[in-house]
Amino acid sequence: MTELQAGQSAQPLEVPRIDARPQRYRDVLIALVAFVLLALLPMLFGSKQLLDFVIRCAAYGLFATSLNLLVGYTGLISFGHGMFFGLGAYGFGLMMQKTGVPIPVAFVATLAMTLVVAVVIGAICVRLKEIYFAFVTLAFQMLIHSTILSWQSLTGGDQGLRGGIPRPSFLGIDLSNHLHLYITSCALLVIGLFLMRQIAQSPFGYTLRMIRDNATRASFIGIDVWRAKLVIFVLAALFAATGGMIMALFVSGAYPEFAYWTISGEGIFINMLGGVTTFLGPMVGTVLLLILNDTVTRLTEYHGIVLGVVILFFAIGLRKGLMDFVVEWFAQRRGEERG
Amino acid sequence: MKRTRKPGISRRSTLALMGTGAVTFAAPWVARAQAKTIKIGMPTILSGRVAQLGTSSRNAVMLEVEKVNAAGGLAGRQIEMVIRDSKGQPQEAARIARELVNTDGCEMLLDGEASSGSFAVHEVARDLGVLCIHTCSEASSLTADPKQHIPNAFRCVRQGIHDSIVGAGYAAGIAKAKGLKKWATCSPDYAYGRDTTGEFVLYLKKFAPDVEIISESWPKLFQPDYTEVVTKILQAKPQALYSCLWGGDLTSYIDQANIYAMFTQMEVFAVNMADYTALTVVKNLPKGIHSGDRYIKTFPPTPENAAWGDAYKAKYNEYPTNWSWQNATAVMFLNEAVKKAGSTDGKKVAEVLTGLTIKCPFGADGTVTMRADDHTLVGYAIGWGTTIPQEPYVPDVKAGDWKAIFELEAEWKKSKGYT
Repeated sequence: MTELQAGQSAQPLEVPRIDARPQRYRDVLIALVAFVLLALLPMLFGSKQLLDFVIRCAAYGLFATSLNLLVGYTGLISFGHGMFFGLGAYGFGLMMQKTGVPIPVAFVATLAMTLVVAVVIGAICVRLKEIYFAFVTLAFQMLIHSTILSWQSLTGGDQGLRGGIPRPSFLGIDLSNHLHLYITSCALLVIGLFLMRQIAQSPFGYTLRMIRDNATRASFIGIDVWRAKLVIFVLAALFAATGGMIMALFVSGAYPEFAYWTISGEGIFINMLGGVTTFLGPMVGTVLLLILNDTVTRLTEYHGIVLGVVILFFAIGLRKGLMDFVVEWFAQRRGEERG
Repeated sequence: MKRTRKPGISRRSTLALMGTGAVTFAAPWVARAQAKTIKIGMPTILSGRVAQLGTSSRNAVMLEVEKVNAAGGLAGRQIEMVIRDSKGQPQEAARIARELVNTDGCEMLLDGEASSGSFAVHEVARDLGVLCIHTCSEASSLTADPKQHIPNAFRCVRQGIHDSIVGAGYAAGIAKAKGLKKWATCSPDYAYGRDTTGEFVLYLKKFAPDVEIISESWPKLFQPDYTEVVTKILQAKPQALYSCLWGGDLTSYIDQANIYAMFTQMEVFAVNMADYTALTVVKNLPKGIHSGDRYIKTFPPTPENAAWGDAYKAKYNEYPTNWSWQNATAVMFLNEAVKKAGSTDGKKVAEVLTGLTIKCPFGADGTVTMRADDHTLVGYAIGWGTTIPQEPYVPDVKAGDWKAIFELEAEWKKSKGYT
């Protein structure tokens, strides 16, 4: 072999690249269809309860899906994710009550504030592994919860932000109108899910999966594991805060319970119900949990037992979330058909 | 001439017949529509740490509603209560309140939520304009703060500021008589504990200027172990102790402090002691704890109050709580207001409720009033006494003076910037 030939064969290999664009177009299409369907709901059904239900689904759905970015995609089991839900609610509520800025400004400012807090807390937490990470996030959550309780002059302590959240209209949207609030919540939900989906499907998303599966290997091939974990921790916090803002608008206030560990617990519960291996698992879990909650509390005051049995069924019976189960079942059936 | 009218039944008579038939068939429906039940929604706490209080609220409401229904209902409409558990979560309380009005068709709300939950339901009442009576939240700001004021919401509950004024007046009398100058406080670390203790100390110093606070403890809400708090107080050696711990916290505190014989070493003023939920649970109730009345069937010392307490006990096999009398009073108010308004229309009832005085077994003078300017309950029985270990637990309650309460409350409102 001559030198020339050797030089030719040393040309870079043609790596087959998967074009991400068609998938993105498909996601955009799904998001648009989902939004249109949600927007049509109030015309098809007059039930105000349904609107309330969807608004709460938007708040909890964004929160739970963002938690899944940590739990399912990165392997960071956060027990304190609820603090960002609470921060979002309080940040937005306080901004609207004290400063009277337009709603979009308060929205962005709340996200900025959450970003700062999440960077500080994340920088400390993501260095830790597994159970230590879980417990330190929980500790930070309780710190924020205690701060909300004790900083009475600002937060109103255990009584929460009182007097309602003012909602001046902007761009023709009046959030004190329930239908407008509904449409806005749906829009935030769909946009939020779409963005999270893009994060999960991006090269960065695959880096996260790699960190989850083998962080040591990831760092050996040159990935800054700490930075990647911090980035996803902060991004997840922003989506959780958006969920908190929707909840604050729904109840027209913010209460310390929003930053309590039980909210984080509910997030984990939702992820267990829906499943963490599929992107939409937590959303399905949210819908399931809220339907369960609403119907069971209607029928009996022993709702704790019923919910406990359901979670036992998923944890011990199915050993996975509902969406995981469905996806596996489909795959199995398809395999059988081919075989 | 050609006859156009055909023999047989004419169109006119057919129409008349159909009309009569329709009326005959519709009559029971119309009657039923007019007499149809009126649904009243009630979100309250039926699970978790304060479930006992929520259950006692429901019991009291049902006791009174049965009486109203037996007497013909509200303006001829039988009451149907729809009561749901909020688990003490404000977002659930808001959701349930909305569901009760929007989906279940409740025309009025009794809000059996405490603290943050009551503010959440208040916002629902503001949004939906539905008539709402708060029956459990003692937070003064719920009605004292003008920002909270809405025409369709009322509060039928005792208030922290009233308790503090009466308690401080009573305590100052004893402090002067017994020369108690060194005081300690021990209250739960959240808004209610801090506010109530602050107000108590403020008025105590006003009535007895040489009182001095030498130790403050703020145990966490629902703290299981009080050893460090008890030893801290014992080391400070105060002559008297004030506490607004309540419920399970108060009973575990007393049980643990009993081990150190705390109650023989100082006078103890525990505003929330005289509630059957606390009195009957403490293992060895010490003699001589000073307490405000929460609910006790011997105060006010009237046959009506005793009969009400006994009727409740006979029905539910336990004594009523502070939340019970407040909820019962709310139903009494609704009943009277609807009678006066002659209608169950929320707006009309709200107008009548404003400033309404009714006869009530829990009134200081046999009546209670829904004060017009801030839509809150006044004139209820309020007083302090000392405990004994067996029934009637607090045999001799000294009644507070409502005139003095009104004066000091007005000053307090000014100092808070509420008026």
